[in-house]
Amino acid sequence: MSQSKISRRRLLTSAAAAAGGVGFMGPWAHNRVYAQATAKPIKIGITSDASGQYANSGAEDRRGMMMAIAEANAKGGVLGRKIETFHLDTETTPATGSRVAERMITRENCGFLIGAIHSGVANAISQVAQKYGVIYLNTNSSAPSEAGQNCHRVKFVWDANGSNFSKAAVKAAVEKFGKKWVLLTNDYVWGHSTAAATKNLLRNYGGQMVEEILVPQGTRDFSSQLLKIQQINPGVVSAAIGGDDLKAMRQQIAQLKMGDKPAWINNQQDWADVYGLPLDNLFGVFGTTWYYNLDLPGVSDFVKRYQAMYPDTYMKVPGNVFYNGYWATRELFAAIERAGSTNNIKVIKQLENLKVSARDRMQHHDAWMDPNTHQMQQTIYLATANVGTKDPDDMFKILGNSAPKDVMDVDSAPACKLETYEATSTFDA
Amino acid sequence: MPVFAVNNVLHMTSLVPHIVNGLTLGLLFALIALGFTLIVGVMEVINLAHGSLFTLGAYLAMSTIGASWFAGTPFGIWWLEFPLNVRYFLGLALGPVLAGAVGMLLELCLRPTYGKAPLYGLLLTFGAAIVVEEAIRLVWGTGEQSMPVPQMISGAFLMGGLIFSTYKFYAAGFAIVAILMVWLFLERTPYGAIIKAGAHDSEMVRALGYDLGRLRLLVFGFGSALAGIAGMVMAPIWGLRPHLGIDVVIPAFLIIVIGGVGSFWGAVAAAILVGLATGITGAYAPAWSLMSMYILLIAIVGFRARGLLGRRSALEN
Amino acid sequence: MITLSDIPARSQMPLTLPMGIFVVVMATAPFWLARVGLYQYLGVEIAIWVLFAMGFNLLFGYTGLHSFGHGAYLGIGAYAFGLFQHHAAISLWGGLFAAIAAASVAGAVVGAFLSHRRGIYYALLTIGFGQVFWFSAMKLHWLTGGEDGLLNIPRPDLVIGPWRFDLNDNAVFYWFVAAITIAAVLLMWRVVNAPVGRVLQAIRQNETRARFVGYDVWRWKWLAFTISAAFAGLAGGLFSMAQQSAYPDVMSLHQSGIIVMMVLVGGGLVSFWGPVLGVVLYFVARDVLGGLTEAWLLWYGLLFVIMVMVRPEGMAGLLHVLLRRTSGQVSTVKPEKA
Repeated sequence: MSQSKISRRRLLTSAAAAAGGVGFMGPWAHNRVYAQATAKPIKIGITSDASGQYANSGAEDRRGMMMAIAEANAKGGVLGRKIETFHLDTETTPATGSRVAERMITRENCGFLIGAIHSGVANAISQVAQKYGVIYLNTNSSAPSEAGQNCHRVKFVWDANGSNFSKAAVKAAVEKFGKKWVLLTNDYVWGHSTAAATKNLLRNYGGQMVEEILVPQGTRDFSSQLLKIQQINPGVVSAAIGGDDLKAMRQQIAQLKMGDKPAWINNQQDWADVYGLPLDNLFGVFGTTWYYNLDLPGVSDFVKRYQAMYPDTYMKVPGNVFYNGYWATRELFAAIERAGSTNNIKVIKQLENLKVSARDRMQHHDAWMDPNTHQMQQTIYLATANVGTKDPDDMFKILGNSAPKDVMDVDSAPACKLETYEATSTFDA
Repeated sequence: MPVFAVNNVLHMTSLVPHIVNGLTLGLLFALIALGFTLIVGVMEVINLAHGSLFTLGAYLAMSTIGASWFAGTPFGIWWLEFPLNVRYFLGLALGPVLAGAVGMLLELCLRPTYGKAPLYGLLLTFGAAIVVEEAIRLVWGTGEQSMPVPQMISGAFLMGGLIFSTYKFYAAGFAIVAILMVWLFLERTPYGAIIKAGAHDSEMVRALGYDLGRLRLLVFGFGSALAGIAGMVMAPIWGLRPHLGIDVVIPAFLIIVIGGVGSFWGAVAAAILVGLATGITGAYAPAWSLMSMYILLIAIVGFRARGLLGRRSALEN
Repeated sequence: MITLSDIPARSQMPLTLPMGIFVVVMATAPFWLARVGLYQYLGVEIAIWVLFAMGFNLLFGYTGLHSFGHGAYLGIGAYAFGLFQHHAAISLWGGLFAAIAAASVAGAVVGAFLSHRRGIYYALLTIGFGQVFWFSAMKLHWLTGGEDGLLNIPRPDLVIGPWRFDLNDNAVFYWFVAAITIAAVLLMWRVVNAPVGRVLQAIRQNETRARFVGYDVWRWKWLAFTISAAFAGLAGGLFSMAQQSAYPDVMSLHQSGIIVMMVLVGGGLVSFWGPVLGVVLYFVARDVLGGLTEAWLLWYGLLFVIMVMVRPEGMAGLLHVLLRRTSGQVSTVKPEKA
């Protein structure tokens, strides 16, 4: 104990020295190592969830951002400025998201905010970010409302949403598994907007919804709903169940061995939620934006970079959440470089005109940012459990892919009213 | 919507499977609430850490089955060569025992609060719930995990043309056995008599020469072990994640209030009522299935202040 | 153990040293917050939660009624403020009035159910009702926006005579919140030191005796709950302005438990000012430890457990004892018999 004891006098002197030098930054100001003495670093606020329902996906999201940041710093930073990060847990709670965003912008002087899984948290952060004009990247929240009624000029959404996935799945499923559908819908905004998209599509493709079963959020026992589905005996069940509810439901469907019949259409299946689980937990057909075993150039190199950077992580291969976190961050840096400035409006305009070739993004189709909704338009993959695999990491079997223009979310777009450039405060990181 | 009307008529005739399902669900709720009831009834402590101990028991059992802490060591390899059945039953024994040990530790922490308002016990266990949950997060990580189940109790079977989960019936059967054993222990053994005496008249127990401190330690340990057993049994149904506790403690607590604090059979009856309400609304008005237990609470406690079978308790002071 | 009643009766003049410190610290915060490494928005949140916690302690510490579902009334106030802005009119005072009114009505109805209950049944029912409100906020998405919350709640300008203040500026908004909190705390001071406060404490000490003395215990319990809910509603209205949204999370059991933790750790059971200490400790600890470790709640939880075990009088009790020691008096605090 005595060795680590710091005398009061010494504390006072060092505080005084700090006050004389760069201004007293508070007892917990960070020590910085500047790459270049002159250039102020660019500080990124990482707003991913570290506890709560989405803690696990939040960690994967953060690993993606950190890899993009490490790569940028290795190349000498962005506009010659080193990238620094500051992370604070948003606890998968919107109220905490607001406070974290306020702190990052007003106290930590973060120039950009990145990270989200939970749509409520993403909303809360983006409201604060819009107030200050700080650019915010929603990396992984897939509620259609994020690029619809809750869109903002400063917010960019990098994941595909519930409508995109439904579009990719519904037509094929009606043709293959029949017209008689049951919808299993989580009784809240994301569930309802995703189900509404599915209903529209069903009408267009000649399917018939025989029943919609609303499942309250927080449901842990699905036995009565699963019995009811058996009594109805539909060809397809389209499930928009999220978070812990889905985790519980997966277990129960696996026990009942109901994963094959009826045919299940799940919305998106985040890699972090299923990695390491037995394969029979992965029932039905589900969507994803990327898979580590896609047969495309660059993919294996990307996986190797991940493994080199995270040798000790229990997740041996990167998933879709990592991928979105990585690409959002990387494209932000590229946009800053192209703008030649960190002025928010200039960077926003660059991001609005973003186009990425399929080859660069390691997907099957070119991707682009929709300037009217700020949602990334990208390839959607349909996948199912890779039954019979020897490799425990290789859990998905990719069934096919859809081009972004075929799965565009036309329903949410009209609801999106971006603030004008003039109404967005100017901000320079 | 003619389609809906036809379907509803068809379903009216097949209420039976939902009643069966509601009953199994009720038994599972009773299992979840068992340790909670015991501790409230005997010690008059509302153990808000019940859910965290439930989760802890399940994690410990999972680690025992999968030998995760010894993976790669000679012991781990030797252990994993045993069939799953053997490892499963050892997990079923060891997980709850360890959870019980943690419960005993908690009881030692609770001692300064005895004799004060029941509020302090409630608060201390609320804090303990947070500590245990965060500790689980640190040790096992934040991700979803899965509890392996032996072949003989997994899978599904057909009954009346409908698929039911074998495991669920095993779990419900397990719940019946556990409830009866706890009841027999309390009613038919001298230990039970002492425990019950301790609940009502601690002076008497002291006068008879029993060590009240040790009695409380054992009861708390036993209640926590029951939480651990419930965790182990429920994990294959609910999945396993660090914040699972909150899903447990709320139903357990509602069941105690509906059943009446201190009443063993009141709690069991309340659990079955809650199970039936959840099961049947789950089929016919699914949007209300979770709300049903709160409505039940307000309906019953609104009319019967002490729940179905409750009696006067020191907790009311 | 000392309790609130061991602190000598005070005159109704609120000119005491702690009140002076409280007012000065609250009023000057924007000038020094950044200097000590904090930030304006945190000040806003602390001021709001001080209001909430102090109002809660009227019920919890003074009347001895242990509500574990009090977050619900904060949430109801927040939604009421937002809904008023969205559907009635953009109005600061109208919104705050709606927040207080909605929370009071909810509190009055629930209080009518609760006030016949005692002890743990009281606590259990508050949890039950809290869960119902929380669950309703999640479910009624046509009204509340469900899990995603009620968004885009404006902060209307504050107009006083010829002056107009833009509350979108966090510093201005802070002063507004601080002024309301100070006014509310002064009001609460009056309440607890008036005869009403004595009745409430009598109920805490012995409900049966209070009844025999001739007080209509039911009515006083009901009144304490309703007043406390009204303060929670006011805090909720301000909170929805701070966040420019209202979310169901603050209504959950977890959050309702956290406010109990704050009040207890601060020493709400032994001091009028206890909740203030508790709120400040919680928010600063969360902000500082939360930036350093993701497991900060583990350490806070441990601190809390130890506090309940060894010093349930909380920080205020500790301070009380320390002050007596330093002033040369022998502590008269005796451990309570088990």
